[in-house]
Amino acid sequence: MKAWAIHLMKLLFPPRVLLPDIIGIDIGLTIAALALLVYLTKTHRWGWLWREWLTTVDHKRIGIMYLIAALIMLFRGGVDALMIRTQLIGPHEHFMGIQQYDEVFTTHGTVMIFFMAMPLVIALFNVAVPLMIGARDVAFPRLNAISFWLFAVGAILLNVSFSIGGSPDAGWTSYAPYSELAFDPGVGENYFLLSLQVAGIGTIATAVNFLVTVLRLRAPGMSLSKMPVFAWSALITSSLILFAFPPLTVAMGLTMLDRLFHASFFTVSHQGMPMMYVNLFWIFGHPEVYILIMPAFGIFSEVVPTFSRKALFGYDAMVVSLLAISFLSYGVWVHHFFEMGAGPTVNVFFGLSTMLIAIPTGVKMFNWIFTMWGGRIRLTVPMLWQLSFIPTFVVGGATGVMLAVVPGDYQYHNTYFLIAHFHNVIVGGTVFGLLSGMYYWWSKMFGWQLNQRQGTWAFAFFFAGFWLTFMPQYFLGFMGMVRRMGTYPAGLGWTAFNFWSTIGSYLMAIGFLIMVYNIVWSRMHPNWDTTGDPWDGRTLEWSLPSPAPIYNFARIPVVHERDAWWEMKLQDRTDEVKISVDSVEPIHLPKNSPMPIILGLAFLVGSIGMVFSWFWLAILGALGIVADLAYGSFADQTEITLDPHYIIETESALGRLQS
Amino acid sequence: MQMERDISHVPTGRGDEVEIHGLAPHLHMTRFPTQQIIGYLVSLLLTLFAFALVAYHWLPLNLLVIVVVCLAFVQGAIQLGIYMHLREGRGTLWHLPVLGLAGFVGLGIVGFSIWIMLFKSGVS
Ligand code: HEM
Ligand SMILES: [Cu+2]
Repeated sequence: MKAWAIHLMKLLFPPRVLLPDIIGIDIGLTIAALALLVYLTKTHRWGWLWREWLTTVDHKRIGIMYLIAALIMLFRGGVDALMIRTQLIGPHEHFMGIQQYDEVFTTHGTVMIFFMAMPLVIALFNVAVPLMIGARDVAFPRLNAISFWLFAVGAILLNVSFSIGGSPDAGWTSYAPYSELAFDPGVGENYFLLSLQVAGIGTIATAVNFLVTVLRLRAPGMSLSKMPVFAWSALITSSLILFAFPPLTVAMGLTMLDRLFHASFFTVSHQGMPMMYVNLFWIFGHPEVYILIMPAFGIFSEVVPTFSRKALFGYDAMVVSLLAISFLSYGVWVHHFFEMGAGPTVNVFFGLSTMLIAIPTGVKMFNWIFTMWGGRIRLTVPMLWQLSFIPTFVVGGATGVMLAVVPGDYQYHNTYFLIAHFHNVIVGGTVFGLLSGMYYWWSKMFGWQLNQRQGTWAFAFFFAGFWLTFMPQYFLGFMGMVRRMGTYPAGLGWTAFNFWSTIGSYLMAIGFLIMVYNIVWSRMHPNWDTTGDPWDGRTLEWSLPSPAPIYNFARIPVVHERDAWWEMKLQDRTDEVKISVDSVEPIHLPKNSPMPIILGLAFLVGSIGMVFSWFWLAILGALGIVADLAYGSFADQTEITLDPHYIIETESALGRLQS
Repeated sequence: MQMERDISHVPTGRGDEVEIHGLAPHLHMTRFPTQQIIGYLVSLLLTLFAFALVAYHWLPLNLLVIVVVCLAFVQGAIQLGIYMHLREGRGTLWHLPVLGLAGFVGLGIVGFSIWIMLFKSGVS
């Protein structure tokens, strides 16, 4: 079994041992890119691609692009995970060399957090938030496109690093001094720094965008207290991003100054302070984990009521607990480095503040359970992910509290216990939540639904694989296996746990493949969502056709209650979302713009200049950025006006005219 | 300098139109942005000066820290005053709690970091 698995993995993903392999990969990538170019030219798709996607500022399309990128990154990060687990399948295994092992786990962590989870969160914000608050777009549509392209540039930088110049290898946390020039020569780490800085600008812009969108663009009558909880989670997540990402940028920027310009912020021999990096990183890092989980909380607060046919239990408590969590999450970052030795006062303060977070989280758990209590539950795919989330997240939270007990943490800090904890909460919380949301809103994005039976199988494999992968890791942690070990000796009692953990990861991979099959199959045998409301939903996005027309709402609904669409359905007022022919007003929409993607290109050029210290290229990129921003500022035609005739035609084709 | 979409004209029906005027500042396009340009140059100068202070060791360490922190505050005030429209009449009241929160978080981060780092002897 073991030999067989290794053999297969070697065949599928030949580990890089010698240089010729990289060249092979480079040639392969180039051929694939050329094939794509030829295909686009042959099918005359360039114009379409440019007009409909590359220059779009429509939040629905931007959401879809984020989603596709996130799924591709899930694949990339997943392959890395399989390589890691294959290396650890048995003692003394040498599937990869140790250097390559370091590169793979670094890429895995970075890709999964920044280029899978974050864009998946932002994808669902884009897809659902404007629709559920009754808006025609986000507040700053062009800025939204800029966010996307900056994220894309960050993702490209990180992903090409291994084949052009070298991969980063200091872990997703990239602690100084591992990441300093003296210990980590080469350009790999530069890729990491630039990639996160560029993507970070995009993320901060997204946060500003959704803060303003949710605060300003809600439908008339939708006061904050009538807003869907997912919109609340978007609001709160955005404010977390706004405060959390700048410290990351600073940490990355200072490391970059150290590496490229021989500063010594984190170099002890020049009176630098490596621990300051760790401090800055976690001022970002801990809020970041809540940035990842809050949207999942928001999604579940939509999914549970819909599939229980009951209003959310304890709406106010849900919102207050979200706020409490976000507030507390700023006061706990030191729990990531108790071992620095700041002393009992500091450690006890942060240990206690960490444990406090379990309270509002528990409140939310109970509220979801009470919402389901006595409800008419439908076991759809989104609901399956939700139901499995509850026990999973309880385990993850409980082990988190264990980690917050300072003397305990001195024992299992940076062991596989920690690895198990955060995969437990990030996979079992964030990923389960986002997949739930993806299945839930899929028809709203594409107009067809995902097959339920296949979705259930994908879920089953993923769920079983998840438990099999991560539960043994808790025991490995207790037995002293530290994180980021490239290989381990026999005879420590670790072998069986590692073996089963690896098998679990293969099961998750099968689950992912079934999900891809699920998507492709459902695309080829589309089950069209003709009503726009396949789940019998409660919030405004379900009052629209699937997919929503470009202007979203022909008529902005007036909101009287929470669960506005549900109330309309109950009170037979669904005609309120339809237009009558003589009262249609022209609609102003933001116009497509090439400025965001050009900005992305300029950032890409400049970043490559920085990575390789070709400063002339960096300056060229910077000039490009300034020129493009100037071009964007002086563009005066930023809106198009949709003619009432066009709106009436579209709506009547959808059967949405008042009789 | 047209905002992406002028949201100040969207009727909200939520009774908070007053806030909206504060949020989407009306920029007078015809006026040459003298203030902004001066603000920009002053910001650059302040940064260069702080950099020079550190790079050329012009001051003893304790004094250096104090001076650099002061420069940072001046810089922050310029950003808020000129680019963040802090002085623009209406809506300022609405901004205060938000600014307060930002200040609280910002100072909190700096303060706590110093507190934590004071114990560095424990490490090295
Ligand atoms: C009740 C809730 C939670 C508590 C009490 C808690 C506590 C902790 C503690 C004390 C650590 C540091 C352990 C060490 O380094 O030795 C930690 C690490 C971590 N936690 Fe949690 N946590 C909770 C929830 C979450 C959630 C919801 C997420 C993400 C969605 C998360 C993600 C992480 C990550 C990513 C790390 C470590 C990353 C690294 O070192 O690479 N945690 N947690
Ligand atoms: Cu934490």
